[in-house]
Parts: sequence; C-alpha cells; structure tokens
Amino acid sequence: MRAFTFDTPATVADAVAQAGDGSAYLAGGTTLVDLMKLDAMTPTRVLDINRLPMRGIRLEGARLSVGALERMSDVADHPMVRARYPVVAEALLRSASPQVRNMASIGGNLLQRTRCGYFRDPDTPCNKRAPGTGCPARDGHNRAHAILGTSNDCVATHPSDLAVALVALDASVLLRNRTGERIVRLDDIYRLPENTPHLENQLHPGELLTEVSIPALDWARRSTYVKVRDRQSYEFALTSAAVALDVRGGMIRNARVAAGGVGTKPWRLPAVERALTGRPMRLDTFESAVAHAADGARPLAHNRFKPALLRRTIVRALTGLED
Amino acid sequence: MARSLLGNPVNRVDGPVKVTGQARYAADNNPPDLCHGYLLTSTIANGMVLSMDLGAAEQSGGVIAIYTPDNRLPLHGEPPFLPNVLGERRRPLSDHEVRYHGQIIGVVVADTFEQARDAAALIRVAYRELPPNSSFEENLDRGEQPPFVGLPLGVPVDIGVASIDDALAASQVTQATTYRHPPRHHNAMEPHSAVAVWKGDELTIYSGTQGPAAHAEELAVALAVDKTKVHVVSPHVGGGFGGKAFTWAPTLLAAAAARSLGRPVKIVTTREQLYTVTGHRSAVVQTMTLGAREDGTLNAIKHHSFTEALVEDPGVRTTLSFYATPNLQLRLLCPPGMNLPTPTILRAPGDETGSFALECAMDELAIRLQMDPIDLRLKNYLRTSLQTGLPYSSKHLDECYRVGAARFGWSRRRAAPRSVSDGDWLVGMGMASAVLAAGRAATTVRVLFRADGTAAVATATADLGTGMWTILAMMGAESLGIPVDRIRPSIGDSRLPVGPGSAPYGAIGSAATATVMPAVRDAADNAIAALIQHGVTHRRSPLRGLSVEQVRYRDGKLSGGGTTIGFGELLTTTRTREHGATTTNEVKESTEYVFGSYAAHFCEVRVNRFTGEALLSRMTTVVDAGTILNEKTARNQITGGVIFGIGPALFEGGHVEASTGRIDNANLADYLIPVNTDVPDIDVVFLDHPDPNVSPVGARGLGELGTIGSAAAVVNAVCNATGKRIRDLPITPDKLFE
Ligand SMILES: Cc1cc2nc3c(=O)[nH]c(=O)nc-3n(C[C@H](O)[C@H](O)[C@H](O)COP(=O)(O)OP(=O)(O)OC[C@H]3O[C@@H](n4cnc5c(N)ncnc54)[C@H](O)[C@@H]3O)c2cc1C
Ligand code: SF4
Repeated sequence: MRAFTFDTPATVADAVAQAGDGSAYLAGGTTLVDLMKLDAMTPTRVLDINRLPMRGIRLEGARLSVGALERMSDVADHPMVRARYPVVAEALLRSASPQVRNMASIGGNLLQRTRCGYFRDPDTPCNKRAPGTGCPARDGHNRAHAILGTSNDCVATHPSDLAVALVALDASVLLRNRTGERIVRLDDIYRLPENTPHLENQLHPGELLTEVSIPALDWARRSTYVKVRDRQSYEFALTSAAVALDVRGGMIRNARVAAGGVGTKPWRLPAVERALTGRPMRLDTFESAVAHAADGARPLAHNRFKPALLRRTIVRALTGLED
Repeated sequence: MARSLLGNPVNRVDGPVKVTGQARYAADNNPPDLCHGYLLTSTIANGMVLSMDLGAAEQSGGVIAIYTPDNRLPLHGEPPFLPNVLGERRRPLSDHEVRYHGQIIGVVVADTFEQARDAAALIRVAYRELPPNSSFEENLDRGEQPPFVGLPLGVPVDIGVASIDDALAASQVTQATTYRHPPRHHNAMEPHSAVAVWKGDELTIYSGTQGPAAHAEELAVALAVDKTKVHVVSPHVGGGFGGKAFTWAPTLLAAAAARSLGRPVKIVTTREQLYTVTGHRSAVVQTMTLGAREDGTLNAIKHHSFTEALVEDPGVRTTLSFYATPNLQLRLLCPPGMNLPTPTILRAPGDETGSFALECAMDELAIRLQMDPIDLRLKNYLRTSLQTGLPYSSKHLDECYRVGAARFGWSRRRAAPRSVSDGDWLVGMGMASAVLAAGRAATTVRVLFRADGTAAVATATADLGTGMWTILAMMGAESLGIPVDRIRPSIGDSRLPVGPGSAPYGAIGSAATATVMPAVRDAADNAIAALIQHGVTHRRSPLRGLSVEQVRYRDGKLSGGGTTIGFGELLTTTRTREHGATTTNEVKESTEYVFGSYAAHFCEVRVNRFTGEALLSRMTTVVDAGTILNEKTARNQITGGVIFGIGPALFEGGHVEASTGRIDNANLADYLIPVNTDVPDIDVVFLDHPDPNVSPVGARGLGELGTIGSAAAVVNAVCNATGKRIRDLPITPDKLFE
C-alpha cells in the first residue's frame, strides 16, 4: 500500500471539488482497499464518501431510484426491489458473501474492478493496470475470463452480477461532476477494452456516481437471475443470465436477456430477446432462441466450455420463469 | 468414583478462551521493542538473483534491516531426519539460486508490519532467468524411482507372482484407469507466524507447531545452539493439517533476525506466501489396474503413482491396507528437478490420494461386474495384513457398511445412472471405504498433584483444534478420579516432557489421542504411587509410618490407618507445592496384530441437468475407531475430515502456470475451499467397539479418517447421478453439463 491523503467530504459538491486524477472514492472499500493492499490500485488521495447523502430506495414517478451508497444487502432485502425486480434481488443475493454485502455499496459494485488474477498481482504484466505491458491472461490461466467483447489487449470479465441485472432492465446512473450532473444508461457506461483496457468506463476523472435509476417495467415481476459458479457462495460467475419475460396467454410478448461471466462488460443479448418475442413459452422456444447467444465468442484455452454453458444457463433461467 | 467422562460428549476446555478471543496464537504475542519482518519472494521460478536494488526500501519509513542472499542471516546445517525428507532442506537466503516461483529471497524488518511490507514492494530485483521446468504434465514421462531415504516411502512393493502383468492377464476381468489430483494446499486458518525473543543465548519463540519439541530441535540445529536453549511456546494452533509438522523458513528467519538485531522479531507469512514457502501436497497422477474374477474376487492390483517429489506415498500405504489380493505391485515415480515449491505432508498423507484412486476404481469395477459396490468390497474384505499375514485387530468395517447402508437408505440407490431426478436435478448415490493405519507412538507424560487441590497433566504435544486440551483434561480426570475442572492440562510447550522416537513430532498421523491417552493412565498410576510414598514417608504427613500397601488412593483422597485426606490437604500439610511422577510409555510393535481404523462414507449428490453444478445433499459416515473418548471432539474431527475430503472432490487445486511456475490462485478467493452452503448435513455414527489389543483404553486414531475415501464417495455419487465418470479432480460444472 502506498501513502495517500485521506479526506471525508461532507457534501457532494465538496467531494467532486476535491476529486480528480489519482483520487479514488471510498464507499464500502471491499474492492478498493483490497486492491490498494495488493498495490494494484495506488491512489494518491482517497475520499471517503460515506457521509454523503446518497442513500434511499424510493419511487420517483414510475422509476425506482437507489442511492449509490445503499448497501447490497439492504437493496436485496427491500420489499419494492423484491416485488418489482426479483432479478435484482437475486443477482445481489448470489453475489459475494453476507459479510461483503453488508459492507459493499451499489455504486461501488457497479464500478468494481475485474477479478483477473494478473490485474491483481503487480508482479505480472497487465495492460489494464499498467498500459502497454501486455496481457498474460491470454495464454495463462483464463478459465474465469471473457469470451465476448475481448480484444488482443485484454480479456478480463466484468465481475458484477448486479450490473447484468440492471443492464437487462435498462437502468441508468446519475453522475455528478464539477460542472453539473448527467444521466447515462448503465449499458453505455462500460467500455469495451479494445486497445485501451485501462479505461473501463465513461466516468470522467473525479466524477461521482450518486444514484441508480431503474425504469418501470411491470412484467419484470417475472424475472430471475441464474448464476453458475464453481462453488455455491463467495464466488464469481462462470456464466450467469438475467432474464425477464412478458408472457400472456402462453406467448412471450417481450423479453430481456443479459449475460454475465462471459463479457468484458455486462452483456445484453438483443438477438436472443428478439428470438423469444412472439413465440410460445416452451422449452423448444428457449433452445432455439439461445442458439446464437454466444455468436462472435472468442473462447480461450481454459474457458472453451463457456459458449455452451452460457446457452444452457439462459435456458435454465427461462425455464425457471414458467408458471 | 464419579460417572466416567470417557465416551461422553464433553465441551472443549479451551472453548471459552477461543470464543472470547483470549486464546493467544503465535502472532498475538507483542513483546516490548518488537519489530516486524516481511518476506520478499521471487517472481521467477528458475534462475539466479543477480542484484537487488534496496535503495528506495532502505529509505522507506521505519525500515531497520534488509536481509538478502548478499546479507544473509546465519542459518546452519541441514534439518534433522524427518524434516530433511518431508520439509524444506535448503536454508532460506543461503545462495542466489532461485528454484521456484515464490521462493524467499529477502526479509525486510521494520517498526511495523505495514512499513516492512511496503518497503519490500520497493525492492527491485534483477534476475538471470532460465526457462522453468514447472509443468507437471510435461514431466509425466520423466518419472524415476526415488532414492531410498530411510523411510518406507517410495519403496517398491511386490506381492505374489513375479510378473504382475501376467497376473492381470490371467484375470477374467481387467480394468486400468488413471486418476488425477492437482496440487493441494493446507490453507490452515492461522498462517505460519513466529515471534522470536532472545535473552542472552536463550531463545523463546512463539510459533504455531504440531510438535513443539521437534520445532525446538529443528530451530536449535539451524541456529547452532543447544536445544535446551530454545523454548517453543505454542499453546494454540489454528490448524496444522501437516503444514505445521515441520519448521519452515519464516520461523527460522524470525529467530535469526531477532538474534542479529538484538530485538524481538515477528514474521507473519501472508496467505499468498503460504502457498510457496510452507509446503503443499504434490499433484498426483495414479494408474490403478485391477484384475478380478467375474464374481468380483480380486486377483491382482497394480497401483502406480506419480508425484512432484518424494514426500507422501499414495502408492504404498493405502492399497496395502484395503483389500485382499494375492498379487500386488506398487510403484512411486517422481521426476527430478522440477521448479516447484517444496511439497510436504498434508492431512491423511498418501491415504487421501490413494483412497480416491482405489475407491473410484472399485466403484468402476462394481459397475462393470453389475455388482453392488458394497458387495464387491465385502467380497474382497481384508482380514490379515497383505505383508505380514497378521490379523487385523478388532476390525468392523463390514458393520460400518451395514449400519451406514441402513441409515443412509442405500437400498433406494438405482444402479443405472440418470434414473433418479428431482426437478431439474439428477440425483445419485455413492459410497467408499476408509482405512487408516492406526499407529500409536511412545510418549512421556508428567502428572503432578498440587497443594491447591488441582492436578497438572503435561506432555509436549499440540492441539491443532483437534481437542487435545480437552482429551487430556478428561483422561486426567478419569485416571485420578477427580472432576475435570481440577485438572490443569499443559501442552504446546517444548519444555514439557517429551517421549522418545518420533514423539517430538507431537500431533501427526492421527495418533495423538491413541498415543497420549494410555500414557496418561500409566502416568497417573505412577503419580498416585509417588503420592502414596510421599504420604507414608513425609514427617508431617498424617499417614506417616503406614506401609504403602496400607494406603489406598480413591477419587483424589488417600486413606489408610483410619485417616482419609485429600491430596491437596496432604501436600499443604507437608508444605509441598507439588508431587507426582513423569512416565514414559514405551510401545512395543505388536507381533500378534495389525491395527487400522475404518469408516464407510455414503454420499448423495444432485447435479443440475442444464448447467452441471454438483451439490451434495447429504452424507453419512460410519466410523470404527475403537473406543470413542469424547464424542463431541471425535464428531468434530470426522465432520471436519469429511469436509476436508469434499474440498478436493469439488473445488480445490492449485493452478501452476506452466510457463512461469507461478501459482495463479494463491489466495482464499481464487483457491476454492468449501463454504457453508457447499457442505451438506453430515451424519456421523461411531460404532464404539473398544480395541483391547491396541491399549487398555481401546482407542485408535481417527483424525484423518473422515478425509480418506470421502472424495471417492462424491465422485461415485456423481457417476451414479449422471453416468459420467470423472477421474480428474475437482469436479467442476464444465465437466458435467454436456
Ligand atoms: C470475496 C469477494 C467476493 C465477491 N463476490 C462477488 C460476486 O459474486 N458478485 C459481485 O457482483 N461482486 C462480488 N464481489 C465484489 C463486491 O460486490 C464489490 O467489492 C463491492 O460491491 C464494491 O462495493 P464497495 O462499496 O465496497 O466499493 P469500493 O471498494 O469502495 O469501491 C469500488 C470502486 O468504485 C469506486 N467507487 C465507489 N463508489 C463510487 C461512487 N459512488 N462514485 C464513483 N466511484 C465510486 C471506488 O473508487 C473504487 O474504484 C466480491 C467481493 C469480494 C471481496
Ligand atoms: S485480461 Fe485484462 S486485466 Fe487481465 S491481464 Fe489481461 S489486460 Fe490485465
């Protein structure tokens, strides 16, 4: 861990005024402190944002607004979240461990860094951590790595389960900077690695994520999150699927499908959504709809199973929405 | 005397201090003037350290000293016999050569742990790097018969006809299968830690160990001091699993640095460093060839095993003690000179790996012969030692099968895979056996009566969470006829009485309880005799003048000549602080019996038909380990052992990068061990048949029994559920979903 200055701003304006290049916001710290101890992140200034008024889970019009500092466990337990967006509650409950969820914030979750082991080990090269040094994961251990959205420079998976559910629901985030505020679709926040894997998202230096906003979607009451992993808790996804279906009279009228554990960002699957829409709610529909779910995938030596596992994960999730 | 405690569930006497955080583990000691060492480890697996740029680190806050191969800490000699074979032979920092990724190449000492760690990160090392030979797979055809090291390890075994291949060829059915384990790491909760304090030429060292006396001896050799000058204090150990049986570099370096600086030094190994500097279980590839008659009778077993280096012996011990067979060949091969961290023993050494291969192969044979797996095992039931022909003493493995099958509902198992399901989950059942060679070693125990009415029972063994504190207190209470709360057990200290032979190694080989218990009984008898002698001879004693025969000891009191006096009162009267005896309990190798402990495991698994996750739904383990001394600690050992076996079946394995020798998952987030949700209900049953031949107490070892065979039970259940035979652990979803 490197020496850094530490401040606890009392207002959002104060926080963004102090932030900039080389600074990091501290929310739950379950990612940041870990990475600082490993010397994988070396901010010179740490701003503890826990005093900021970025809390609350409430309806704003038809949208559900969640403050960035809400803890994962509180959001997962919230009656409105559980009733309206089961996929969000389930994605949260299948994340990390109860102890981590009690500490970790929604904002921090969406902005957590990849779990790629090379990224976390400063004794190895890594384009994301040290641009231009190379990507040992491509020929190294890459079971957990991505198959979609990868580049020659980086194949790291986006680790958040929550983000997969929120991308499926078309959620947006509210960002504050020195000059004002902007709203961006979560799906647009994440960048593909291309040849700049160190740039993970569209946040400007010092920009603060203050709120997550989930649009109304009546039929998201029929939604679920399936996560396949190597153990049953405290483990990231090999593959995951967030699905929501609008089913009437045995026919699928509308669908949302996004995948995790496979992409360099949460991976929305519009082609699968289209293939489901207008079809009967049946296993053969699901099976044919997922046929192209992993199109364009570039599997690596240790994750060749992921395209097939992804298709099966989505089918399993969809069958879970049958009456 | 009062109701016997033995055989009843008794709470741990060390429980309260543990749950209230008062138990002092090694790293909890903070003597005045303490400074902290941090290990610097290599980032290459093969080559030389050419130079180290220490400039920035030396300038970094709080740094006191930096030791490197150019500024060595004097460490001498080679480790004594056992650790020389089973631990790390080379002394840390002794030369510039790098033999594995993560080898210690420096120690930074600073005022705080954080300062030392952060300074270490500033050291720039220049290497001459050579291509590492770190790929286990690429070495499989380079196996050699290891040299003889003075132990039975790796020594070939041939029983029966001259050519095992002829015997196999003559069998009606033969089956050859190969099983693979990745490397396994101990991952004890407590990392290896040491706090070294020198006073003149005497060292007191707080360091977690399974054998305090051996630890002191090993330190004395390395530091070139007399062993009486080294005092190891290790009352509580946060898990050992074999990883704390021998002395590893962090402890040696703490002692040497403290001597060189004239200040106490603490070194706490980080989790990541534990994977390379404190030993691991080698990866293992085993080929098991079985020859049998169509009725299941085994005719030949050929078991070949391949490991990174000679340490454990998954070829010999296990297969020798499971099944009757007229012909047997066992071989162990190792490749020379791999660039991998030093392997060592790990809980159920050899037996865990060997039982996995053998018990899976037996299941495969049963399926092939369309026999019930239990019937196949009973058909080949071993009653006499394959090597000596001596009978097994008090063996009730057949009863374990019977009792287990009934409790578990084995009769509901369908032989055909994929025939039972529950929603989207395929359900399967599997079983396996466990055999543990039940040793008992010599040891020395001191029992002292004290004037305050308590009795001290002391021996230099260790409690690794195994319940030794409690067992010692119970056995003391039982033998002296006084309540447990009047017993003051002492363990975990090298100054306590130590036995001969391998006794300094304390708690290894699941033999601690079986060893210590009868010794406590003998020591108590001698202490009572000494007390009576004191009573009839001391000039202030009310019993003075009576003959020894006239005095009886019962439940803490002496009576004779119409006088009855408690031992506390007697010693108070005679102004004696304490009185008793130290007794060495020799163990003669039995010429009449061989000893084992036994278990049968049953496992039910559910496998998702879409995505292949295998979830364990329940397990039953029936144990035959002689007398059960404390049901509670015994159950805890078996449950923990079974979980320790589930680990490699479904989750565990070190990932060594072939191109760099680096372990990719050297942390508890990426190296998966079972968490609570992964562990099913485990139903443990003890048969509790005392074994009169092992000792008067009748108890055999059981600590490792839960681990032996349990992975095979899981694999066999998965095969029953899915029809897929996984021979390459761990069983991850990708191996099952297609
Ligand atoms: C053992 C373990 C297992 C885990 N398993 C899972 C899992 O299965 N699934 C999963 O999804 N996650 C998992 N996680 C990750 C966990 O969910 C994240 O660490 C957590 O959500 C991060 O939240 P935090 O509040 O602690 O963030 P912090 O660590 O405080 O911050 C994370 C990052 O976001 C930045 N940041 C935080 N808040 C803001 C903000 N409001 N505006 C701008 N930047 C901000 C920080 O500067 C930092 O870069 C696991 C973590 C651990 C330690
Ligand atoms: S995959 Fe990305 S994060 Fe991982 S080593 Fe390559 S560049 Fe670094």
